[in-house]
Amino acid sequence: MVNDQLTLDFLGFGLGLRTAHFEHVLQHQPLVDWFEVLSENFMVAGGKPKYYLHAIAEQYPLVMHGVSMSIGGTDPLNMDYLKALKKLANEVQPKWISDHLCWTSVHGQNSHDLLPLPYTQDTINHVAARVGQVQDFLGRRILLENVSSYLSYHDSTMDEWDFLNALAEQADCLILLDINNIYVSARNHGFDPLEYLSKINPKRVQQFHLAGHSDYGDYVIDTHDQDVVEPVWQLYQQALQRFGLVSTMIERDGNIPEFPALQQELQQAAMLAAKQFPHLSTRTLDAMALAQGQAV
Amino acid sequence: MSESLRQLQHAFMDYLNTGETASFQPHVIAQGRITVDTRLAIYRNAYRIRLTETIETDHEVLGLYLGDDLFDQMTRGYIQQHPSTVPSLRDFCDALPTFLAQKMPFSEHPILADIAAFERRLLNAFDAPDAQRLGFSDLQQLPVPDWPRCQLRFHPSVQIYSCQSNAVEAWQSIKAEQTPTAPDYSATRHWLLWRGDTRLTEFISLAPFQHELLMGFIQGRNFAEQCELMMQFFDVEQAPQQVLSALQAWFEMGLIAKLQT
Repeated sequence: MVNDQLTLDFLGFGLGLRTAHFEHVLQHQPLVDWFEVLSENFMVAGGKPKYYLHAIAEQYPLVMHGVSMSIGGTDPLNMDYLKALKKLANEVQPKWISDHLCWTSVHGQNSHDLLPLPYTQDTINHVAARVGQVQDFLGRRILLENVSSYLSYHDSTMDEWDFLNALAEQADCLILLDINNIYVSARNHGFDPLEYLSKINPKRVQQFHLAGHSDYGDYVIDTHDQDVVEPVWQLYQQALQRFGLVSTMIERDGNIPEFPALQQELQQAAMLAAKQFPHLSTRTLDAMALAQGQAV
Repeated sequence: MSESLRQLQHAFMDYLNTGETASFQPHVIAQGRITVDTRLAIYRNAYRIRLTETIETDHEVLGLYLGDDLFDQMTRGYIQQHPSTVPSLRDFCDALPTFLAQKMPFSEHPILADIAAFERRLLNAFDAPDAQRLGFSDLQQLPVPDWPRCQLRFHPSVQIYSCQSNAVEAWQSIKAEQTPTAPDYSATRHWLLWRGDTRLTEFISLAPFQHELLMGFIQGRNFAEQCELMMQFFDVEQAPQQVLSALQAWFEMGLIAKLQT
């Protein structure tokens, strides 16, 4: 690929499309710029989920986010999974497809979790080759997301940020930078999240994730069932400074509130971005202006 | 492929399955105030919680029928005996009815496996492929000489569920927040499940003749053969009428996807 511009266009501010909100989104067509869908939730033959997905895809840009690629796994890539992913992509025409820089299964057994990799050049070589296979098969660059982690391996020979950066370069893929995951892992491993941000190549960062977590004092677990906390908002502002306007999405997978509450949280992200980029114009900000107008 | 990476992943997965730390713990660095045991336990807890929640969600009524203690015993046993080999949690509980039918003490109460099997069928109907649905007028437009050899193709969500217990009746009672009646294994029951036009999963009980009729059409028998079959249940004048009125109902329920002559 010869184009110097690696990342795709800025999409604005998005939310995860969750079952509880299908009907609200279709009926009220809320002013949200885009939705992220969990690929696996729609890898079914038909029925209600598919109906809503197609109806919503006609009205909003979508991106696909997966949890089962096991790009860092040592089993062969699951071609049935990749075929299903490609079929879904053909159906909904997502702006991009992402998964996680992790492994999920080994010897045919699935942990259904995003398990950390040792940060070594060997791992980079292994994963980069698999990313190449996936990108060739899908015919597009994928995004890989940094995961929250709770342990580190003796095998690791580099920091997570150097690993992520080097992998993205060698594999020629893009990065989905999860700001909350950086915060969670920083707390669990005792590194400086700002150092993490400062080491990531802005050219490859296509998307940000924001989310809430559960704080147990000594450690933090990435639960996606709480609002985004203040230190993560602060880190998000630092990320905006370093990376510029990057498509941003809030993940919520548990304790899911009514849609307007999530929309309000998303508007907070848009507002923080607008402080740094005053000419920013998105539907998410339009919704805020509209709500304020109604309040007056 | 890195052999050391594979070994590390095996050790991690073995730990998630068994809780035995001996082979995995040496891979993990001791950092700060969080002990290695705690770090490992975070992953094992998450693994078990995720699978348990999947069973709870997919088999909500079974869980209520069992009560907390037996449900915990079932989930522990199932997770241990059936580590997930599927990419999607949607399919994780596919083997649960078989597990319940074979594993003590659950196997002593066959209604449990039947409730689980019924809940799997509901899920299958929920996300089965989409297809067009024909109306009764499509059959009426068929030239009369074609009727005797007419065959039906059903909507992909259509399923027949037969069991030797009152599992579905118990399921309905619990869903309606009523106490289910005692298990009854005195007769075979037949149920028809499908996803209607509104994309809601529906089910109804089938009388023996309706079950025979549906099975006959699903197996490819034509209208004439089915009328003959119905003579087991009705006299020669009633049989075609019964077939026709059953057909009319099926079209109205959105069960029929195609007519073949």
